[in-house]
Amino acid sequence: MPVDAKHLAARRELAQGISAVERPGPAANQRIQEALAASVADARNALVVGLTGAPGAGKSSLAAALADVARAVGRRVAILAIDPSSHESGGALLGDRVRIDEHPDDDGRFTRSIATRGSGRSLAHVAAAATILVEAAGFDLIFVETVGAGQAEIGIARLADVLLVVEGPEGGDEVQAMKAGILEVADIVAVNKSDRPGAQAAFDRLRSGLALGAGAPELALVSATAGAGISELLATIDAAGAGRGVRGRIRRVEAHLVAAAESHVDAQVREATASGALTTRAEQIVAGAQPLTGSITALFGISESPDA
Amino acid sequence: MAERTTPIRVLIAKPGLDGHDRGAKVLARGLRDEGFEVIYTGLRRTVDAIVAAAIEEDVDVVGCSILSGAHATLLPKLVASLRSSGASDVLVVAGGIIPEADRPELEQAGISGIFGPGTTIAEVATFLRANARRR
Ligand SMILES: Nc1nc2c(ncn2[C@@H]2O[C@H](COP(=O)(O)OP(=O)(O)OP(=O)(O)O)[C@@H](O)[C@H]2O)c(=O)[nH]1
Ligand SMILES: [Mg+2]
Repeated sequence: MPVDAKHLAARRELAQGISAVERPGPAANQRIQEALAASVADARNALVVGLTGAPGAGKSSLAAALADVARAVGRRVAILAIDPSSHESGGALLGDRVRIDEHPDDDGRFTRSIATRGSGRSLAHVAAAATILVEAAGFDLIFVETVGAGQAEIGIARLADVLLVVEGPEGGDEVQAMKAGILEVADIVAVNKSDRPGAQAAFDRLRSGLALGAGAPELALVSATAGAGISELLATIDAAGAGRGVRGRIRRVEAHLVAAAESHVDAQVREATASGALTTRAEQIVAGAQPLTGSITALFGISESPDA
Repeated sequence: MAERTTPIRVLIAKPGLDGHDRGAKVLARGLRDEGFEVIYTGLRRTVDAIVAAAIEEDVDVVGCSILSGAHATLLPKLVASLRSSGASDVLVVAGGIIPEADRPELEQAGISGIFGPGTTIAEVATFLRANARRR
């Protein structure tokens, strides 16, 4: 039996909405505002869970496993999987769907791959707007997967109601270094691949390494592919997200405003670089023909605080 | 029509039951390097799964990697299913070993491009840029 066309209509509308907000401008803003109004009218209260961690840690597999458990009790679940665009070609290879089973007949699931496009090393600028649209479409549990690196971590920490850091059993130096910053903002750290040797040891290391005081993240030991510890992890996620109330939606709008500002500045910088205005201004500053103060206003339209 | 401001999105699918996806992966990487956003879905996807993924990803192109003529029968089904789901403006192309005799029927069914072995990535990219929907 072919997939029901009517079935897919709602998902298609959401999918096209996300494409629309990927093109910034007044039309994108209107879509986002309509989505917010709809969510307020329908008293939605989606839980946005950020998943971050090293490449190959099992973020997509874990999001899929958590989605299955949540879906089994009737929750409507979406996964937004973000991967970097190539700086050189502008293209991207978005492969997270390989780990996420398709459920073509199930309108209670939605998966979308998002490229970072012009967002540099930040979280994809469109991520917050996409969660706003997905919430308005009636999804109450939204996973946002992003590779853990630099600025993207700050972005996902800002956007997510609950931030889950996924680790593999390896826990090498590189992972340790990466962890330092992210652990301060993580709500939960899940050591994945518990079916593999070394996972228990990595979990124990982590537990003894983390202060157990207030603010320390919850720890979990799971296997996405063997399905071990997944229900418990979902319960931990829900507990961490409980009591967010309307804060969740306000947080998403905050994250969107920051992303919009970053994207605006990025565009101004590109423009000033391409037009030569940046070089001209720098030359004038060196020659003493222009003051440093006022230059970023002149170049990028950013107002400078008086004591800057 | 207005100039495109966003990359063309391509879903690379490998319908049917056989287990080789080397060609599909080479194409996926190659198109990324040509500036496309490539969504790769992995092996053994059903036609329904490919259609749902194409809709959710709002792609401009679905590219199917086909290893034998037998799989070519899936392609008309895929085009028909995309059309009935309201995604009739999605370009469907296929690559692989497709017998010359099967081509007219596939073209008739709405497969816009058929790329045999030896087609370069640049040729595929040029074709997609010329034929994908504008927006
Ligand atoms: N043994 C074992 N393998 C796992 C588990 N979870 C994921 N994997 C495997 O680990 C590999 C990477 O999994 P992904 O889910 O793609 O990891 P990811 O973090 O999303 O990777 P990127 O998106 O590329 O950063 C795949 O081969 C998975 O099958 C697990 O619980 N146990
Ligand atoms: Mg992934």
